[in-house]
Amino acid sequence: MAIVAAGALVLSACTSGTSEDDPTNEDGQGTEAEGDGEGTAAPGDDDAETTSEGGEAGGEGQTSKPDLGDITTKDDNIFYSVGADEWAGLNANTTETNSVYNQVVSGRLGSSFWYYGTDGTIYPDTDFGTYKVTSEDPLTVEYTISDEAVWEDGTPITYNDFLFDWAANNPPSIFGEPPAEDDPAAEDFVPAFNNVASDWGIYVPEGPQGELDGKTFTIEYPEPYPDYTLMVGGALPAHVAAEQSGMTPEELVTAIQEGDAEAIMPAAEFWNTGWLSPDKTLPDPMIAQSSGPYTIDAAKGAEWSQGEYITLGPNDKYWGPPPATSNLTFRFAAPETHVQALSNGDLNIIEPQATVDTVQQIEALGDSVTMETGESMTFEHLDFNFAEGSPWHEDNGGLAAREAFALCVPRQQIVDNLIKPITEDAVVMNSREVFPFQEGYEEHVAAIYDGRYDQVDLEAAKAKFEESGLEEGTEIRIGYGAGNQRRVNEVALIKASCDQVGFNIVDASAPGLGDVLSSGDWEIALFAWAGSGTVTGSAFWYESDGAGNYGGWVNEAADAAWETISTTLDEEVQKEQLAIVETEAWNTLHSIPVFAHPGVIAYDSTLDNVIHNSSQTGVAWNAEQWVRTE
Amino acid sequence: MLRFILRRLGISALILVLGSVFLFFITVFSGDPLEDLRESRDRNREQLMEARIRNMNLNDPWYVRYWTWAVGVGKCITLNCDLGTDSRGSDINTALVNAAGSTLRLVTLATVLAIIIGITMGILAAIRQYSGFDYIVTFAAFLFFSLPVFWVAVLLKEYGAIRFNNWIADPSVSLTAAIIIGLLFGLVLASLLGGDLRRKLLTFAVAGLVAFGAITYFDMVSWWRQPALGLGLIILVALGAGVLLTYLTVGRTNRKIFYAALTTIVAGVIGTFVFGGWITEPTYPLLLLMFAISIVSAIVIGWFWGGWDKRIAIWVSIGTAVAFGLATILDQLLRNWGPFLERKPRPISTIGSGSPNFEGPFWTGVWDWGVQLILPTVVLTVISLASYSRYTRASMLETIRQDYVRTARSKGLSERVVITKHALRNALIPITTIVAFDFAGLIGGAVVTETVFGWKGMGALFQEGLTRVDPGPVMAFYLVTGTAAVLMNMIADIAYAFLDPRIRT
Repeated sequence: MAIVAAGALVLSACTSGTSEDDPTNEDGQGTEAEGDGEGTAAPGDDDAETTSEGGEAGGEGQTSKPDLGDITTKDDNIFYSVGADEWAGLNANTTETNSVYNQVVSGRLGSSFWYYGTDGTIYPDTDFGTYKVTSEDPLTVEYTISDEAVWEDGTPITYNDFLFDWAANNPPSIFGEPPAEDDPAAEDFVPAFNNVASDWGIYVPEGPQGELDGKTFTIEYPEPYPDYTLMVGGALPAHVAAEQSGMTPEELVTAIQEGDAEAIMPAAEFWNTGWLSPDKTLPDPMIAQSSGPYTIDAAKGAEWSQGEYITLGPNDKYWGPPPATSNLTFRFAAPETHVQALSNGDLNIIEPQATVDTVQQIEALGDSVTMETGESMTFEHLDFNFAEGSPWHEDNGGLAAREAFALCVPRQQIVDNLIKPITEDAVVMNSREVFPFQEGYEEHVAAIYDGRYDQVDLEAAKAKFEESGLEEGTEIRIGYGAGNQRRVNEVALIKASCDQVGFNIVDASAPGLGDVLSSGDWEIALFAWAGSGTVTGSAFWYESDGAGNYGGWVNEAADAAWETISTTLDEEVQKEQLAIVETEAWNTLHSIPVFAHPGVIAYDSTLDNVIHNSSQTGVAWNAEQWVRTE
Repeated sequence: MLRFILRRLGISALILVLGSVFLFFITVFSGDPLEDLRESRDRNREQLMEARIRNMNLNDPWYVRYWTWAVGVGKCITLNCDLGTDSRGSDINTALVNAAGSTLRLVTLATVLAIIIGITMGILAAIRQYSGFDYIVTFAAFLFFSLPVFWVAVLLKEYGAIRFNNWIADPSVSLTAAIIIGLLFGLVLASLLGGDLRRKLLTFAVAGLVAFGAITYFDMVSWWRQPALGLGLIILVALGAGVLLTYLTVGRTNRKIFYAALTTIVAGVIGTFVFGGWITEPTYPLLLLMFAISIVSAIVIGWFWGGWDKRIAIWVSIGTAVAFGLATILDQLLRNWGPFLERKPRPISTIGSGSPNFEGPFWTGVWDWGVQLILPTVVLTVISLASYSRYTRASMLETIRQDYVRTARSKGLSERVVITKHALRNALIPITTIVAFDFAGLIGGAVVTETVFGWKGMGALFQEGLTRVDPGPVMAFYLVTGTAAVLMNMIADIAYAFLDPRIRT
């Protein structure tokens, strides 16, 4: 749960339609990602030059959507469930609705300029539109929306919608700077748009430039912004917002262009509530308009049974490839019920928690069910605490102590015992920024790490321990959020190995990871970073004053490297600098990455085109391509 | 009496308040509401955290947050409750109303069934103390009582849903299975009816053969997929009910009562033909209307036949009419089992309270939600069966040994009158307490059952709140279950005082 739940601003991470056969992807920062628009991530394997065989669904090496050729929509219904949480409304960007549970439905009702491939690579969705960099200084990106792209009522999707989307980021150029955190006014401050996203407003103060009802617009970044691909995704129908707040689209566009905060307020009010469905009944299809392959229009077969399921129907106004199956039903069922429900046909596709038990249960179901295992973009790591008084602090054990610990942590054994039973291909993860299943992983690891901690070497560890001058039996508390059996087992394995070196490993789990981390009552913190996504996003884990740097690692070289990364667009430079960061992280032992979390999907064997996706979008990333073969 | 009630109310309120403080406290400190966000590397992680902190008022100490909640609840006095919003900003009031509705649907039937079956089992076990039946009931009660709900529910889904669905696709009962079922049925019935060895053997043989024969017959005519009762069986069921009711009330002394029941059945048969169209394609209002008509007819029939014992005649007529009606409904349901299977080849789902996008005639629609009630109801019934049967048995045994029962026997009353008129009524007094308690408890006890069967009821509300370390939904759950428990407890006390004159001082 904890890992999944943290969706973030969703610029409609999933899109419709099949991608082109050769997504040349000139701007694709091959990034790992969560199913959110602006995750963060480390670059690493950039220039995702995708193999472009197309064809077979999920063919070897292909990470984009398969090309299904001509599609005739099959009159059928496929059942899928993410969890017990109900859909909350079309607008999945409000602080209330920003979750994977909501996004999985809303994502089917919209399209976007891009989507995440199975390994987190960003692919442009050319059915929706195209974008290209027209200038690098200042960074300018030109977006062109497909001429055919329309909302459900036939209104073309235009610059208006994206201008409104930009305004919904509460740009300071319109609404002023929000009060600082320590400002007493911050307590009562409520932004005009209740939006989880704000980057677009901050980094593009002028907003998108274009003409009323135009199909193209440009975005200019005063500062270099490496994650620009993720900035613009999909949008919500601005003409509906205008109409519902008593304006014409023209008036709304003018109000935003002129920065008239007062005039925008009614539209903001509508944005905050108008696309939500708190009473859990199907919204008016003329308000909650789709731009994707599916619709919530009851006249087209959509249905919402409170607390039970929501069924989507095909959107006949969608201009891209039609959905392979006419109806999708998202059932609101708790994850622990999924395996039995799959076996009984109450669900056709499941993506359960990847545990050994689940995998065995699914295997026991026989041939009628197909299971695929893989890895997800969440990885487990051990963080050192550099606080004063800690054995890792330079005044105490210092680097030698950390090396002793790194030498005794049985990473291979942890993977063999705990992860391989789930997914056989699991490997020890040697990078913090590139996942083993991503392209360029080998290359990146070769540049940052020489394999010295691959094997447990108790002799070397003892020597280092001696060198560090730590006392025999130094207590090492491994802190983590209680309630995770796998982590209990990890700690047990570490204890079995590292106690021989001279450490005294103590399982210091407590309810609430946040309390554990902020209390500082740990020498080692064991947790996972979910996703990531953008080029610069994981900086806060390394930077001396970073909010995610719980251990207090200080490294000037790494700080400088992040500074460079965040101001360059050159992927080669980003790559190089990232290698510097990670080399430092290995040499001075900022942390020890352990493994990427496994992911499991299972589906009725009669279904086609069900493909595991490592990004947080999950298996629903190509839901419009699912189809029953019989 | 008023003082008693007022004092009880005051104490109950105090308990509720203290309990709420305690629950709020332990919920708030059970974990970290921002845990999922802390592991996130999203760009907007700070915004998300701030939004959640704002939604949940996390910057305030727990007692301030409790106070905010309590003030919202205080508005209930003006029927304007404000239970606040959950961690994702959605309204808890709406969620609570929906959840309570769903749970009540689930729990009501289970409670009624548990009461009826449990008390019947308890009485029979007491009357046949130390018989085979008694031992079976005792064994079963303890077994059910100690079963973990979660495990039973998952097993039931495996056998009751998945395997049943596999079986119903091409149903057939093997000879061995039929024999075993026949044997078991015979055994149970023989130990239940009792008597000397010869009689027991006879019951065993007859019952076993009938069961075996019925199953083989069903198998041959593919009854499993196209079942029906038919008018003959309906009449038989109603007749059985009429005989039983007559026997329980007046025995064989007053023939008029039995004639009333018979007339009711005749009226029912006529009604079946008159309302034939309505019965095969009804709506809920039509069903209600027909129900009302049959009750009125029953009253009229009872009135005319009753003579000097009108009251009993009316009740027996009504009972017979209800039995007839239920049998007719069952017949219609069975007839529509086939059409239902065509629409839903795997009839019993493991999750949800119906199948998505179901369309079909009325009776298949009833099947659609009806079958979904079966498994969770079985789980809930089985759990509370234990306490009912044990308590009733103990209470009944105690009553039977009372002096006044012996007096009743010695003055020559028949065993039937002794049991139904003298012993049973007094034995039931303590049971009222348990019934009241149990109903309150079932709402809370359905947490696990709901989760496993995918019902979004009070249990889900509670559980989700707890996983998210979000006191709002947890407290809403407490408000309902806690109040129900306290209220029911009080009602039990008051009812007790009314039922038992000895306490009324």
